Amino acid sequence: MDFHVNKERGDSFRPDFHRFVLLFGHSFSERIKFWSELELEHALVEGGEESGEVALEQAYLDFLIKPWLNVRAGMLLTPLGIINERHEPPSFNGVERPFVDTLIIPSTWREFGLGLTGDLGRGFRYRAYLVSSLDASRFDAEQGITEGLTAGFDASFRNPAKTARLEFAGIRKLTLGASLYTGHAGFNTAGINPRVTIGEFDGRYSFRRLDLRGLFANTWISRAAELNRSLERQTGVNPNVGRQLRGYYLEPAFHLLPRRWRHDAILFGRYEKYNTQHRMPEGFAPLPQFDRSSWVTGVTYKPHADVAIKFDYVFNRNKSSVVRPIDGINLGLGWWF
Amino acid sequence: MRRLATLSLIAFALFGQSEQRKPDRRVSIVAERFTFNPSKITLKQGELVEFVLTSDDTDHGFRIPEAGIDVAIPPQGRGEVRVRFIAREKGRYAFECSRPCGAGHNLMRGTIIVK
Repeated sequence: MDFHVNKERGDSFRPDFHRFVLLFGHSFSERIKFWSELELEHALVEGGEESGEVALEQAYLDFLIKPWLNVRAGMLLTPLGIINERHEPPSFNGVERPFVDTLIIPSTWREFGLGLTGDLGRGFRYRAYLVSSLDASRFDAEQGITEGLTAGFDASFRNPAKTARLEFAGIRKLTLGASLYTGHAGFNTAGINPRVTIGEFDGRYSFRRLDLRGLFANTWISRAAELNRSLERQTGVNPNVGRQLRGYYLEPAFHLLPRRWRHDAILFGRYEKYNTQHRMPEGFAPLPQFDRSSWVTGVTYKPHADVAIKFDYVFNRNKSSVVRPIDGINLGLGWWF
Repeated sequence: MRRLATLSLIAFALFGQSEQRKPDRRVSIVAERFTFNPSKITLKQGELVEFVLTSDDTDHGFRIPEAGIDVAIPPQGRGEVRVRFIAREKGRYAFECSRPCGAGHNLMRGTIIVK
């Protein structure tokens, strides 16, 4: 559950019950298990109106064969980055997810798919899936590939994408991960079938009261110039999609209270740099307002490990001298059980 | 404060036999979405082991189906749970999280190898 109050400069405080999530799981046997997540966003869903959404975020079966080899099939979370698979509000600092984890690696990113997953021993584990494609007809300059997620609706599996993640968690308090996604995204763009490739690596480390997490992600979109021209012919608007998107962040956090205490208070700061037009195809110019950075600083207070009360202030910057970014204050309440 | 923060439970699960002697080994296992660390534990046949289970985040479960063990691991900062285990037969014993903890819960598992 994720309840926010957001305030951008010059605007009033806006409350939002951002996410209400129901989890269902079932063990058919010791070797066949089901997991699902059904989410209601923004508290209200009405037909044909722009309000909330009800979304099936996950629904898959696991067939457990060996510790190192298991089969997973259904609606899956793509195994990219830190947040997408671990998005419960108490598991990250800040009221909103990092911008890089929404604009460069969209989250929550789920697709139909099947694949393998397992524990290789010595702290290594992996996930490797074939998943339904992105839809390049909805890519744009500001949000990159984010709007191209089908989320299981009108998805295409004719030309499935491949995605994999390798994680190392063999040293206590240290987790390192690297992820890759590659696949064609042209099932809705006649004559153009651009390939989207995302490479990412991330790490999380804790030492005494200090936590550190960071992530770097780069996205490549092939045939971006042709895609832009094709979409402009169809819609009359040039989406100005970049051929490379890039983002990274670094977040140190300090636990104000000793770790063994029942309560936890975490002071954090996060610097993010993200550009959805890091490289443009020839003949297209980048817009400086999409070369962005943010400082997010705030406090997460946890009266219980599964309950987080969050406050942060967001300083947004971009390279434009015309389009001014808006700073914001966020207050959030997140819990899960 | 430490006493307040520590909830300590001891479960004896020795394939039906209680075992009061001092354990031959203590093995600390840390649970965190969605892994146990360590996830592979090698024991000697007949060795009495005490698992000391803590969580680095939410509450988890620790279940060894073949031994009838299933205990709750309290969330971070709420203490630990101790489980005694003796494997009288050689082989591999799976253990798993028995408390739904998120997207990777189904595969939050590990293996005890008894030699």
